[in-house]
Amino acid sequence: MNALHTWLTLRGQGFSDRLNAWVRAFRFAITAIAGVLSPSTYNRATRLIVQKQIYFTAWQILPGFAAFAALFSILIIEIVSTTARTYGLYEYALELIVRILVLEILPLLTALFIALRTGAAINTEIALMKIQNELDALQRMGIDPLRLELLPRVIGGTISVLALTAVNIVIALWLTHLLMIDFHPWSLTPSDYTRMIGRVLDIPALVVLWLKTLAFGFAVTVIPIAEGLSTPQKLFYAPIAVLRGMVRLFFSLMLIEAAALAIVYV
Amino acid sequence: MNDSSEKPVAKKKVFLLQGDRQRRQLIEEHPQAILVSENLPLRANLSVLENITVVLQFRTNTYIGEANDTAWKLLTQVGQTGCAEQRDPDLSYEERFVAKLLRAIVMSPPIILIDRPAQLLPDTNYPFFLNKLLLALDAHFEQCWILDYAWNAPLYSSRA
Repeated sequence: MNALHTWLTLRGQGFSDRLNAWVRAFRFAITAIAGVLSPSTYNRATRLIVQKQIYFTAWQILPGFAAFAALFSILIIEIVSTTARTYGLYEYALELIVRILVLEILPLLTALFIALRTGAAINTEIALMKIQNELDALQRMGIDPLRLELLPRVIGGTISVLALTAVNIVIALWLTHLLMIDFHPWSLTPSDYTRMIGRVLDIPALVVLWLKTLAFGFAVTVIPIAEGLSTPQKLFYAPIAVLRGMVRLFFSLMLIEAAALAIVYV
Repeated sequence: MNDSSEKPVAKKKVFLLQGDRQRRQLIEEHPQAILVSENLPLRANLSVLENITVVLQFRTNTYIGEANDTAWKLLTQVGQTGCAEQRDPDLSYEERFVAKLLRAIVMSPPIILIDRPAQLLPDTNYPFFLNKLLLALDAHFEQCWILDYAWNAPLYSSRA
């Protein structure tokens, strides 16, 4: 009986801790939205940090990541078009590629890449700032850490995810045209391509796409920051904070993707 | 060290305290004071120059160039321009202390509280070093209070 009681207590404690972590992330998300929309957030210092965040998150990786996205797109386009041709369904390949690659895979791939690269870095940095009392030091200097250190990362990170996704989508659409129309002019005409783009990428689809990408960008920065802020002031908690932040971020991204799919297809 | 380091600094006041409780009480009673303390570190991913300019930029919305000039002038005045581009882990105790002091000075607070200098400058004859530093920065602060423990009083006897 005692063992059962202990087991239940431990399970309950674990559940309560996880729930509290989600509540903290949600609260920080609301604070961040309010901060981002408030004009008083922005001054020369915060704008400089937003610029730095965009530079490190998007600009620094742009050539390499765009090349990777291009190669990945070529692979998907070739697989889908070859398979469709084999089954005599080539006229459907174009729509399939745009729906799978442009609307689903590329935004998720970009968010996952930024989560691994920037989200992990932000989580570690904020956790270490919390552990080493740097946030408190800023507060004592009359500087609001939310405005100087946290919100610029949210703004810069979100803009970066949106920008990189847009670049990757443009590259994928151009490659689709190149590989399916220009290299196979006997199969489909440029007007087929234009009509299909107009049909698949209509206003509701674009609204869902950019809202989903916005949510990805927001999650990629807000969840690591919230997890970093809740780190106890002991150095050995730093890797634990990053681990928890990354797992929560992964689930959040999957949840956003599933919700977007449900809106479009269910 | 030149002769000027032996001159007393008029705006400096040394508090020799009996214990931690008295120290905490004094800090709490002066919330308008800016602390220079071991417990309030520099931003680790910013250089010394950036640690000073970010305070100016954020609080007064100064242009980055103007804030850099102000910070550079202060570093020149105390002869520490060599560490301007270095970050916290690469700094010596003296350089780190100078960075923290300048970060406090650019805010022009009514009082600067140097909390337990023995912790901040463990390898330095700190009453001597502080006197020299505060003399060089005399025009930039109102009052500077040094909070130290009574058992360190002999260190100040012939200096302050």
